[in-house]
Amino acid sequence: MKIAILSGKGGTGKTTVSNNLAALISEAVLIDCDVEEPNSHIFMVPRITGEEEIQTGYPVVDDDKCIHCRKCADFCHYNAIIAGAAATMPLKDLCHDCGGCRLVCPAGAITYEKKGIGTIYTGKSRFGSDFLYGQLHLGELSGVKIINRLNEMTADRDLVLVDSPPGTSCSTVAALEDSDYAVIVTEPTPFGVSDMKMVVEMLREMEIPFSVVVNKAGLGDKEVYDYCRGENLSISGEIPFDRSVAEAYASGKLAVEISDENRSLYNTLWLNIRKEAEKSHEN
Amino acid sequence: MKIKEIVVISGKGGTGKTTLTASLVPFLEDAVIADCDVDAPDLHILLNPRSEEEETFSGSAKAVINEDLCTHCNLCIDHCRFGAIDDTPRINPMKCEGCGVCEYICPVDAIALNDVTTGTVFKGMTGYGPMVHARLVPGEETSGKLVSQVRNEAKKRAESDGKRYVLIDGSPGIGCNVISSITGASTVLIVTEPTLSGLHDMKRVLEVAARFSGKVFVIINKYDLSVEMTRRIEKEAEDNNAPVLMKLPFDKKIVQAVTEKKIPSLAEPDLFEMAGWKNLLQRLRDPES
Repeated sequence: MKIAILSGKGGTGKTTVSNNLAALISEAVLIDCDVEEPNSHIFMVPRITGEEEIQTGYPVVDDDKCIHCRKCADFCHYNAIIAGAAATMPLKDLCHDCGGCRLVCPAGAITYEKKGIGTIYTGKSRFGSDFLYGQLHLGELSGVKIINRLNEMTADRDLVLVDSPPGTSCSTVAALEDSDYAVIVTEPTPFGVSDMKMVVEMLREMEIPFSVVVNKAGLGDKEVYDYCRGENLSISGEIPFDRSVAEAYASGKLAVEISDENRSLYNTLWLNIRKEAEKSHEN
Repeated sequence: MKIKEIVVISGKGGTGKTTLTASLVPFLEDAVIADCDVDAPDLHILLNPRSEEEETFSGSAKAVINEDLCTHCNLCIDHCRFGAIDDTPRINPMKCEGCGVCEYICPVDAIALNDVTTGTVFKGMTGYGPMVHARLVPGEETSGKLVSQVRNEAKKRAESDGKRYVLIDGSPGIGCNVISSITGASTVLIVTEPTLSGLHDMKRVLEVAARFSGKVFVIINKYDLSVEMTRRIEKEAEDNNAPVLMKLPFDKKIVQAVTEKKIPSLAEPDLFEMAGWKNLLQRLRDPES
């Protein structure tokens, strides 16, 4: 079973929820797919046992062979090749590594080279469970390949928890690949509700069953509950806003470490999520 | 006069970008407002623009296979680098990046690339000036292109209305959305929070900002959650030549203002005043002061 934890709006508590659950469930593998700004390793403090560089390809033009026909530039849908009368210049940052330019080049002047775009770290968390996270290199545009590889590396595992990127763009879609179930972490503010609606739309489109966790409950207002009722969404749990938890988070401590009350809160949350997830797959 | 673009970003999500951007709006006279957080746009909730114009945005194309023509040669499957074509063969639009390779390689012309709507751009008027925002179709890529579109529209509006500033609410992260929103901007404001995550993410986004844009400043939100982390963030910011201009305490009144869809700086002026609001405004108007 693969369960993605996501949110739409940033900072609602994806990492909080996924990491507290990972700390409780020793058989779960946690993967941090928020490769632009990964944070789970701050709480998991993994002992790293493996590192893998993730690469992408980009075209290189052999000037001696290039006949300046400009077919490559005409073909490229990402405007990643500038071709003039005397020079053909690939822009590697815009390249999606589709291989099209090499395919259309009649002179065999294009080859592909590789560059690193990020790293995947594999290890054991300080709770003894398996943990992987990816990190995009600064200045790189897209972490989708890193996310795809994280999913590939954990495809045969029995229970995977995914700390997803915020938003609803291509990185989030990549993180959701092969997820059996999703948990939307939201907060009871107008921003939380608005961003959550986009996630609901996306999950329905992808046909992934899900439920909702309301974090920072007690702050804000009731709009999120009205919305969930109106859309017939089930709420797997509520996590009350607690300043002492926020302060512990600041220094890298998880809620389940600071009190038994929090431990039992997350235990109950996990039981609910598992029940909802199993129920959704019976139908 | 050259238009100044001020972009608010954060690295880590949920630190208060939109709270800060909305708060600046009434105080930065002479600005066009742009929400470039296209896959989680929230600024309009507080500014409530009256819509003037709405247009769909097509940032990419998706391939479609005509199953009547397909001979099942599987060349498209072999050549697709995005794993977007299954054994049917059928194209998964969520994975297709619109590169056109399958259309090119198909020997019987059974594949076509169709433009798809990837977002909507909204232009409108708030009580404080014109605003441009957008909404990505959930699950779409090319959000970086949509960000550029919003920025360009806002800039055009600033030119035609003779405005001095474009104030941009950015997105979390450091990828294409963020790079598209800050490249060439004159001022970047990084809103962070005093947590290990906030510090970790700020370090990364500081470096990206230094690479792609002009003057960088830092604002620490909820600074009293951890005095120790606030100190570490201040040091990191100073070391990176990005002065901390304001420290806002954690106060439920700010959450309350947002919940009531009020602009926090207007609802809670004293909180902002004590946090260094005047200093921030002064530096935004004249970064070298």
